[in-house]
Amino acid sequence: MKTSTHRKLALLAGAVVTALFAGCASSGVKNPSGVPVTEMKADERGFVAGTGIESQDLVTVTDKMARSILGIPEITQAKTTPRVVLEPIMNETRFPINKDIFLTRIRTQLNQKAAGKVRFLARENMRALEREQQLKQDGLVTASQDPNVVQFKGADYFLTGKLQGMSARTSQGLSDYILYSFQLIDAATSEIVWEDSAEIKKQGLEDAAYR
Amino acid sequence: MSQLRSSFRFKFAGALALAVVTTAAPAFAAKPKKPDKDFVLKEYQAATVALRRGDFAAAKTSLDAAITAIGGIQVDETGAKKARSLWSDESAKLFIGEPYERVMAFYYRGILYWMDGEADNARACFRSAQFIDADVENKAYASDYVTLDYLDGLASAKLGGDGKDAFDRAAKLTTASLPALDPTLNTLVFVEFGQGPAKVAEGKNKELLKVVPGTNLIVGAVLKIGEQTIPLTAMDDVNFQATTRGGRVMDHVLGNKVVFKEGTGTVGDVALAGAVTSLRFGGASDLTTGLAVGGALFKGASLLTKTKADIRTWDTLPGRVGVAPIKLAPGEHAAVVDFIDETGKPVTSRPVLIKVAGEQPDTVVFVSDRAS
Repeated sequence: MKTSTHRKLALLAGAVVTALFAGCASSGVKNPSGVPVTEMKADERGFVAGTGIESQDLVTVTDKMARSILGIPEITQAKTTPRVVLEPIMNETRFPINKDIFLTRIRTQLNQKAAGKVRFLARENMRALEREQQLKQDGLVTASQDPNVVQFKGADYFLTGKLQGMSARTSQGLSDYILYSFQLIDAATSEIVWEDSAEIKKQGLEDAAYR
Repeated sequence: MSQLRSSFRFKFAGALALAVVTTAAPAFAAKPKKPDKDFVLKEYQAATVALRRGDFAAAKTSLDAAITAIGGIQVDETGAKKARSLWSDESAKLFIGEPYERVMAFYYRGILYWMDGEADNARACFRSAQFIDADVENKAYASDYVTLDYLDGLASAKLGGDGKDAFDRAAKLTTASLPALDPTLNTLVFVEFGQGPAKVAEGKNKELLKVVPGTNLIVGAVLKIGEQTIPLTAMDDVNFQATTRGGRVMDHVLGNKVVFKEGTGTVGDVALAGAVTSLRFGGASDLTTGLAVGGALFKGASLLTKTKADIRTWDTLPGRVGVAPIKLAPGEHAAVVDFIDETGKPVTSRPVLIKVAGEQPDTVVFVSDRAS
């Protein structure tokens, strides 16, 4: 009889303990040993994400822009290969970013896919190029062409862009909309010969522990 | 009964063996390294020390590391789950700081971007900082940093845009007159002084987070270059910003923990008192044992419930911040910044060598009343 009572008591105590600790146990510990390094595609949304500008946005936007530029008559029907200079893009969003990365990816995409229909001028390397030309003019290094004749090409077009954003934050969460717009500007006439844009909106809500 | 004891002994021996194996395991297998839940706080503090010592590269590294952690959205974070659970204090979560601390991280990073000639990325930081301050209980205090809106406008003006909207917002937030948005002003003097806020946990169960303003003797600063004396007015009071946020969602979570802690504690007390009464009047019985066991369990649960608010603080923050755009001729300018008290008397002074390269990019000077 006593043994049976003690068993009941033990069961009762067990039930109380289970009830008390249920909340703790059910919340669990996810990935207690961490998550091993995972190689992901650049256009894939990772498990570490915010509402800002991320690699998948960069890939989506620059792919779209490169395809769009390749379709315009100024490039496809040009009598001579158009020369393009990249101008720094303007960041008007709330996210500090490496701005050059957008134009770098558009350039590499165009160089890969355009098969020589468009050429980019390496203006960011002008100082080194001028120094090399000076060395040639001074006869300190050999030259395959007359170093006194200017060989540097002028730009036919400027490729530039702008990142603009709208953000909202309430107790319901936060949201960020970003408009990525790019332009190809005729260097002689200042006409915008091509313009395209992409837009991405993201929203989320932080853990209550941070609100 | 003897069977029960024997079974208990067997289970106890088994558990002991398991415990021995488990504790011995680290000798054979490398223990996974726990992420440091305070690393953002350490980066914050390292950044302010580096900034004040003029080691801007180190400050950038620290702030970038911190901003990478605080810039995203914290979801599904193990520490956060722990912080919300009954059995851990709030400080179990990864520290990212209260909004005023995150604002300051972006503010400092913005200064460094401007120093590197990236006014648009600087503006992005100031906008992010102002955005962080948007979600406050009393909307009158939402996004109310004068410095951030002013710098947003100034950066826009310098980038050839229209900074008037941001300037107007800044002007509405202060009674002081702000320097005009003149893109030709080629030197920005960022100034900070005084002691920033501290945090304390109040309430019977330490569940209430209270931000305590730092005490400040210094109320202003003056830049002296040759014959020129330029007042460096503080546009924002970090202590004011820190104390006007209002309640947090986490306060409700901590409040619920307190309800649980006090509820289980009361049930435990009643059960234990019942056990004592039962023992006194009826002797040892099943009821007495049941009440004693139940009471002890509830009392234990109450004692194990952790309700303390997170009081980890970025304790090297200043009390006040501001910026003064000025025009200086190219060259080196030996200057002194006097930090003054209410009577206008210098409390401390800092010598500054301002090197102006030309019109572009802007020369950015950072001066603090503290050396580290």
